[in-house]
Amino acid sequence: MNQKARNLTGYLWILLIAVALVLILCLLLSSTPLKTMSLFFFGPLRNVYNFGNMLNYTTVMIFGGLAVSIAMKGGSYNLGGEGQIYLGGFIATLTALALGGTALFSSKAGGAAGAIISILAGMLASGILSGFSGWCRMRLNTSEMITSFLLSSAVVMVVNYMITGPFMDTTSNLLTTSKIPESMWLARILPPSNLSTSIVIALIMVACISFWLRGTRSGYAMRMTGMSSRFAVYCGLNTKLHTWLPMFFSGALYGLGGALSVFGTYHASLRDFQSGLGWNGFAVALIARFEPRAVIPAALLFAWIESGSRIAMQGSDVTSKIAAIVQASIFFLASCSIFQEERHIRQGGLKCKC
Amino acid sequence: MQVLASALSIMAPLLLAAIGGLFTQLSGMTNIALEGMLMTGAFSTMVFAGATGSNLIGVILGIVVTSSLSLLLALLTAKMKANPFMAGLAANLLASGLCLVISGRIYGTEGVVTFQNLAPLKRAMGQTVFLPVALLAALISILVIRRTPFGIHLRACGTNPEAVTSLGMNVSFYRFCSLIICGALCSIAGSAIMLNLGSYVPNASAGKGWIALVIVFLGNIRPLGIVAAAFIFALADSFSNFAQGFWNIPADFILAIPYLFTFVAMIIYSIIRKKNKSFR
Repeated sequence: MNQKARNLTGYLWILLIAVALVLILCLLLSSTPLKTMSLFFFGPLRNVYNFGNMLNYTTVMIFGGLAVSIAMKGGSYNLGGEGQIYLGGFIATLTALALGGTALFSSKAGGAAGAIISILAGMLASGILSGFSGWCRMRLNTSEMITSFLLSSAVVMVVNYMITGPFMDTTSNLLTTSKIPESMWLARILPPSNLSTSIVIALIMVACISFWLRGTRSGYAMRMTGMSSRFAVYCGLNTKLHTWLPMFFSGALYGLGGALSVFGTYHASLRDFQSGLGWNGFAVALIARFEPRAVIPAALLFAWIESGSRIAMQGSDVTSKIAAIVQASIFFLASCSIFQEERHIRQGGLKCKC
Repeated sequence: MQVLASALSIMAPLLLAAIGGLFTQLSGMTNIALEGMLMTGAFSTMVFAGATGSNLIGVILGIVVTSSLSLLLALLTAKMKANPFMAGLAANLLASGLCLVISGRIYGTEGVVTFQNLAPLKRAMGQTVFLPVALLAALISILVIRRTPFGIHLRACGTNPEAVTSLGMNVSFYRFCSLIICGALCSIAGSAIMLNLGSYVPNASAGKGWIALVIVFLGNIRPLGIVAAAFIFALADSFSNFAQGFWNIPADFILAIPYLFTFVAMIIYSIIRKKNKSFR
């Protein structure tokens, strides 16, 4: 069996186990298991609203998966997804609100420009947040896994305070900031669902990053530093740069996902809009084995589970936490190398550090 | 002073969890699932204590449940060759999800659960029984690690597993043992938090597992160092709680402080380690 077929069977096993888990949970937790199961699996496909929302969730998952994959290709673990998504979205919101004050940005073109500036600002902020962990790893050899997680957890609390404190919109019933100017909103492509043009941006990003990693010199430099930093040093590559740069890009991608959720879906920063997105993005990257192009189906799977769980909760008597259990289990399974390299090694292949 | 008393009561669960983390760290594994173990321990203790009305039975059964679950996790990780770090993270996520789902199932709510039949803990000078238990655990761990064959073999597993295997001993056995011990201690820590509050508050143990992990490293992976580090953390935490009242710091910032403090502590630890290395 060649590598591709092997990977595929690994994916199928994970899919099978996920489906089995959902079935078991529905049987255990629901008094109407069949109805719950049908809502779970087919609910997202029933109408345009559910389907569009599922695709919308896929978009954020794609960005999360890309973010973690790029960090991993550079040899780092980015566990700070939650905080980076939140910060990216929040800073983008703030920038948009600040720019919206001037008349320059209320026209169509001005709005687009304003949106781009705000999103870039958000990406920069979350990139710095994540890049700081990478920098600490470069200088002090602290584990960027733990520091990225700790920083992002702290940032979540701080942004929570900002949204419900100084920047809260007192006219709204929700805990949220004021809405960003309408000229900056992303167009909806599948009303009445929340799906916006952000999915197009996501797909373009996948293509760009996939090309960059495989087809350019700087992408190669980053991958090589991630695979073997000693070899990279002998090649004359700048390993110091490529120690924190993947983390920076990773944070920026997460921030892009957060900013696009704000500009496409919520049009404001709601408190805790990032909840779970960071971890699910990481799991998506794990399933995709950190390959940018495989992120798309993995993101779809996760979005399906999430939407299915929510629809089942609304239509039946189960809690939406079913999704959390299934997602955590998939997270665990996707990290098991018996689905990946183990059989490959036994058959005499080379061990590749992932 | 009040700050000191509150610090001591915060220190008890942190110390217990950190000693548990010490055992796993000495056997060669960094236990990421401390957070999940704390949560499972807290939840299972409250379930059994509420069901039987006795705090002690609750704690004992909580220990049984948490230890078995951590053993299960270890077996799965070993059998399926999962990445231990991811497995620990997945365990944390799973633990929080499961606790909420089971709580919803049994009590009908995913929020705070109060029990009518629980006796409040006896306190002396504002401290519960868990503080001496924690200090006793630290003391016992010093004896076990330094003076017993088990402890020496455990440390050997962490330093040089190949040497242990070459002597015919089973490294996995010691690692599993350390996980059982860790699960038990984390369960006691979780029950310390919950029984102190008198009811099950879902997120009361959030973040404590991570702090316990860093306390292990800050204490230089030695019991006495861990006691000192735990005390410093608890003091900082208690001080920030009082500062919230004094200086009107918003509640969300208070929640962020454990993580920030842990981060700063890690940075300082890395700087010190780097300085020591450069003297070799």
